[in-house]
Amino acid sequence: MHEVEGGGFGGVTTTAAPQGRMNDLRFQVQNLTRVEGEGSLHLLVRDGAVAEARLQIFEAPRYFEALVAGRTPNEVLDIVSRICGICPVAYQMSAVHAFEDLFGVEVEPSTRALRRLMYCAEWIESHALHIYLLHAPDFLGYPSAVEMAKDHRQLVADGLRLKQIGNHLLATLGGRAIHPVSVRVGGWSRAPRKAQLSALQPALHEALRLARATVDIALGLTPPAFEREPRLVALHNPREYPMNDGRIVSNDGLNLAPQAWGEAFHEVQVPWSNALQARGADDLPYLLGPAARIVLDAEQLHPLAREALQASGALESIRRNPYRSIVARAIELVHATADAIDIVDAYEPPDRPAVEWEARPGTAAWATEAPRGLLFHRYQLGDDGKVAAAVIVPPTSQNQAAIEADVAAFAPRVLDLPMDAATHQLEQLIRAYDPCISCATHFLDLSIQQAPS
Amino acid sequence: MIERHWSAADAMGSATRFLPTARLGELVLALRGDGRRVIGPVVEDGALKMAEIDHADALPFGWTARSEPGLVRLERRAPDAAGADRAFDNGPAWSGIKPWTFPSRVDALALETRADGSLAVRVDAPASQPTAVIGARACDLAALAIHDRVLAGGPAVDPDYAARRADLFVVAVECAMATSTCFCTSMDTGPEVTRGADITLSEIGDGFAARGDSPAGQRLLDRLVLAPATEAHLAQAAEQVAAVRAAMGHAVETDGLHDRLLANLDSPRWAEIAERCLACANCTLVCPTCFCTGTEVVSDPDGRESTATRAWDSCFTAGFAQVVGGGSFRPQHRDRYRQWLTHKFGTWFDQFGTSGCVGCGRCVAWCPVGIDVREELAIIAGPVPGLVPDAPALVPTAPVRAIAPAAVEPGSIRTTYVPTTLAAVRPETADTTTLRIATDDPALLAARPGQFVMIAMPAFAIPPISISRIRDDGIELTIRAAGPTTSVLARIRPGTQLALRGPLGRPWPIEDAYGRDVAIVAGGIGLAPLRGLLDQVLAERDRFTSIRVYLGARTPRDRLFVDELEALAADGVDIRLTVDRAGPEWLGRVGIITELFRGAKPTGANVTAFVCGPERMMTAVTDLLGDLAVPPGHTWLTLERRMECGVGLCGHCQLGTRFVCRDGPVFSVAELGSDLRREGL
Amino acid sequence: MAPETRVPSRAAAVNRPRVGVVKFASCDGCQLTILDLEDELLALADRFEFVEFAEATSRRSSGPFDVLFIEGSISSPEQVVEIARLRAATKTLVTIGACATAGGIQALRTAAEHEAFRHAVYPAPAFVESLAVASPVATYVAVDAELRGCPIDAHQLVELLTAVTTGRRPQLPDQAVCLECKRRGLECVVVTRGEPCLGPVTQTGCGAICPGMGRGCYGCFGPREGANVDGLARWFTDGPALGSLEPGDVGRLFAGFTGGAPVFRGVTDRLGGRPLIQLRPAGAYPPELAEHNPPRWGSAGKEGLDA
Repeated sequence: MHEVEGGGFGGVTTTAAPQGRMNDLRFQVQNLTRVEGEGSLHLLVRDGAVAEARLQIFEAPRYFEALVAGRTPNEVLDIVSRICGICPVAYQMSAVHAFEDLFGVEVEPSTRALRRLMYCAEWIESHALHIYLLHAPDFLGYPSAVEMAKDHRQLVADGLRLKQIGNHLLATLGGRAIHPVSVRVGGWSRAPRKAQLSALQPALHEALRLARATVDIALGLTPPAFEREPRLVALHNPREYPMNDGRIVSNDGLNLAPQAWGEAFHEVQVPWSNALQARGADDLPYLLGPAARIVLDAEQLHPLAREALQASGALESIRRNPYRSIVARAIELVHATADAIDIVDAYEPPDRPAVEWEARPGTAAWATEAPRGLLFHRYQLGDDGKVAAAVIVPPTSQNQAAIEADVAAFAPRVLDLPMDAATHQLEQLIRAYDPCISCATHFLDLSIQQAPS
Repeated sequence: MIERHWSAADAMGSATRFLPTARLGELVLALRGDGRRVIGPVVEDGALKMAEIDHADALPFGWTARSEPGLVRLERRAPDAAGADRAFDNGPAWSGIKPWTFPSRVDALALETRADGSLAVRVDAPASQPTAVIGARACDLAALAIHDRVLAGGPAVDPDYAARRADLFVVAVECAMATSTCFCTSMDTGPEVTRGADITLSEIGDGFAARGDSPAGQRLLDRLVLAPATEAHLAQAAEQVAAVRAAMGHAVETDGLHDRLLANLDSPRWAEIAERCLACANCTLVCPTCFCTGTEVVSDPDGRESTATRAWDSCFTAGFAQVVGGGSFRPQHRDRYRQWLTHKFGTWFDQFGTSGCVGCGRCVAWCPVGIDVREELAIIAGPVPGLVPDAPALVPTAPVRAIAPAAVEPGSIRTTYVPTTLAAVRPETADTTTLRIATDDPALLAARPGQFVMIAMPAFAIPPISISRIRDDGIELTIRAAGPTTSVLARIRPGTQLALRGPLGRPWPIEDAYGRDVAIVAGGIGLAPLRGLLDQVLAERDRFTSIRVYLGARTPRDRLFVDELEALAADGVDIRLTVDRAGPEWLGRVGIITELFRGAKPTGANVTAFVCGPERMMTAVTDLLGDLAVPPGHTWLTLERRMECGVGLCGHCQLGTRFVCRDGPVFSVAELGSDLRREGL
Repeated sequence: MAPETRVPSRAAAVNRPRVGVVKFASCDGCQLTILDLEDELLALADRFEFVEFAEATSRRSSGPFDVLFIEGSISSPEQVVEIARLRAATKTLVTIGACATAGGIQALRTAAEHEAFRHAVYPAPAFVESLAVASPVATYVAVDAELRGCPIDAHQLVELLTAVTTGRRPQLPDQAVCLECKRRGLECVVVTRGEPCLGPVTQTGCGAICPGMGRGCYGCFGPREGANVDGLARWFTDGPALGSLEPGDVGRLFAGFTGGAPVFRGVTDRLGGRPLIQLRPAGAYPPELAEHNPPRWGSAGKEGLDA
């Protein structure tokens, strides 16, 4: 897998295609880096034009949907977080809401607020990770944040600090930042004390300041000129920026309840990938994530984040240029930090950590907004209150087809470049989606194949 | 030993007052006003826990507790007949006072290598934080008295405990209810509060009978300006504690328990308990008298600065009795349970003159699988004559102190670490090195053969190393690289500073050999602690009728101090040597060490033997010497056990009635008795 | 289960040790723990040369490594080949996390169930390559040290790295979680609430996170030395404190993130509670879709090319 020392993007190889035709050429970018998980990219070039882009996810499958069968709802919350170490909260949230929706559980208002706070914490740490450690080095020309820190120490230190504050908040709520343990159907195993959260306020204010500075930094990073008209999908809630709760909407008029995800979308398996891909009812790709949310939910942003968006004037470029997702993430950082401050201010601990509930058989389904976009869960519960079947559709598997389409559209301009420059540009494009391959099962090698006409 | 409390009898002259419940808060405020933090029972996460409180309202008014083996439930309780909520009818809080007098983690030693290479040694004394406890029960006070003996009344004093203890003010509560797990009446520690408190409260109706048990307690009550308790108050207080006593009955027969337990070290019940016992250590951690600790070292990545932390440990863990490069002396759960129970109810008497159990029942209630010591004691060591097998002849039934420990008066063992300088390093074999330590510390220079030191250097564990020679300008330590720490010690450069605690332990009793035939028997690295003895024996050569040295090594290359010993042999000292295996170039003897005795038998009552080597070698030599009619009291061994502190405070090196570090490491075979060979002790 | 730890000598700190971080089947959470050492990360980068860490850097290396951290279980045929190659290129190989040390939750599948699992998740399982069983790294190659946990604990990670630079043995206790629980002053959730907790049979290192959050431990650090799992399971099924759980409930407790560890697995095998495999409802995936080529954006591609 890893054959090349000291730079480049793993094994960039040129080999004859299996058919052995002279003009078949397959390029492989093995193991995309600075993404979560393992995968590769293959390009099929036919008569000098890109015929097809295939995002191959070779993260070994772990069969989560089978592993949750026979489990109780609370056990499911612990298990599904392991789908992704980067966004475990998202998995716990989609699942817990699905169960509570089926069981008719009314959680206490403070529980609802705390869940949103927990999601804010995850957005902060995940977005800070992606902006500063994974994506910014692309724009500034470094192989990693560590190398970038040699010239931009404060920049990296600020990013780490932001991430740390998100992690601290998450650990306060969940015991630890990765795979937190406190989320339970009906509420929490233990709710934080008021003083515990208040103690975090100075750090959260610092995070807000750093987040606002991040917007300026992101705006200063020049995106390659590449635009397209994506179909965007996100949750929408007229009362708040979508995290835990909203209807599924799109920029082409979709509007349905989160439980009804399956009416508008479906999953398919493609032979080159261990991850299932999701498509619209028309079989076309769609795009989730920060850019989709910013475009579809701009009105619901926290006033401070809305102000940052307006000042940036970047709304249209966020929609059209995938590289501008870094600006969208920065604006969402402002939103998450500002929202967290408000929630902590208003927090009053619930009377009891969790309300009583009783399992019911039926279909439990819900969608929430993971840092990378809409995450849909559907569980079939049997009479014994245990899961009989499950469908989990992570954002990256929904974005996969969209990424392939964008890569196919972008690729012609790099075909004449030297291989390492070509792969670098393609990888940078893929990273713009913050693909989380562990989730999708997971990521990334590039191959370019010349096919016969 | 801390003796600052008056007994209740001393306070008889002062009238007991009546403290209305509504004014309990004044007591808390007065204590806080004196600059004390106040600790009391509070309801937290469904259990009664001792925690810092700001106000009396935080106390568990209206809560009672139900407690069974492995099950504790707090329940709301209706106000009493007088309409008052009672605060203390809920048994002992699970966490007790121990976390404040003996915290679970305390920084014990900080080391820093300065820029000039010198070593800064810092022992963190606790910041003075005067503390008051409200709601201590008679069992808690009995436990405190035991800790006073164990941690501050022995030859080594735990400075952290002593400092915390000196600043403690105790408001005790006489229990008006017992849970089903309470058995203080059996252990003769309660429910009446008779000692150790500054103020004792009895909760009666809408207030408390408040008795000043110490001058400080009386002064505090005076400040509150309270009316005297009435006869009716006093009668009610007496009645309710008497009722508690009657309710508890007599669950454990303590009479003769020590002997019965030690006579049943081979009971089949230990293995049966082990099927249930999780060796999770909860019993020891909630026990108010358990005091065992381990040492954790954290350092910066450069290894220049480090802190050794003393943390609660437990005899139920495998690592507790594990020696470097070897296994655990108590590999099985049954060994660990036996160690705990026999120590708590038996050998504690030998070591500290008291039981280790106060009958609080925490180990019963908080055992996650509900093992009940009262039941187990009755089964293993019940007073039914038919159940007691004949005691093995060698089991000591009384404290064994044939030879007094090196130090007996409280505080006589120095526990501080002294910076010293490594003057020279001499490799002895491929894996063994002698360090010459330069020091002008009078105590170290006064070390005696058989003693050892604890060596501290930044970032590493603190191992015990025996002294292999005592010089005018320092000491020598001979180290075999058995683990990372000893490996690093064997590689350090002259000039490096090392912090030493010592000299520690009981030396070889050379006086015992005066006028006798001396046999020095060493296997492998076991020669190191005997080398200083040989130095001294040769210096006083005329006081012995003969001197013979028997040495064993794995191979010729593993022989220690070869030049020195050859010179002595040339000088006429009788030195015999064998190796376990050798190549054809070796002209000497090959075979186990006992073979050496064939040629020159140390026989009869006039022999004193000093033996050190692997434990199996020592038992073989002991057997042989026994066959040769050398009295067990004349055969001296030095034992290896895990030692984390070296001064008898951490508990790791316990062997039966002894701490090997403090009471040994040198013991006579007579002293050890059957403990020498008993598996898993 | 804990292998003897070998660490490079102190002298290795003079030349920065070459460190690699690679993953097999896992969630990335353990390697994220390295990036979550916000306070130490840049100092660590001064001290160690991270020559391979795909999640963090575009620089790549196939070795050699002084220290190699491996996350994830061995779950596909390629991974079997790759782990052998990595072992040969590495001085000190450290497995990190429940997947690498015990197989992870994916190790709950047995060889016999593998086909059912594949059919449960993938409409066309023939395209998916995975081994019948997911295994810890030590099943295939020798391991020098392991950090347990799902995910690993940041303090233990720092302790291990410090041990590497100072040449000492990392302090990674093999005691029960209970010791840390009581040192933290937490009440026992089994005793006070009848909440099942695997703390007594689980190795500590996490800092007793779950009891600290008011719930029972789910064993993510795996079995401790001498774990008396039968004693604990019996108390859960027969004892009074928990209101007597069903055997399958207890079996499922042990079928967690280290459920592949033989000691825990034995309980689940005996008491039941293994995952129930059910196929997806028929028609969830129209079979013809599986063979489709990926579709394109409507007209977006052309527009993009003009930019």
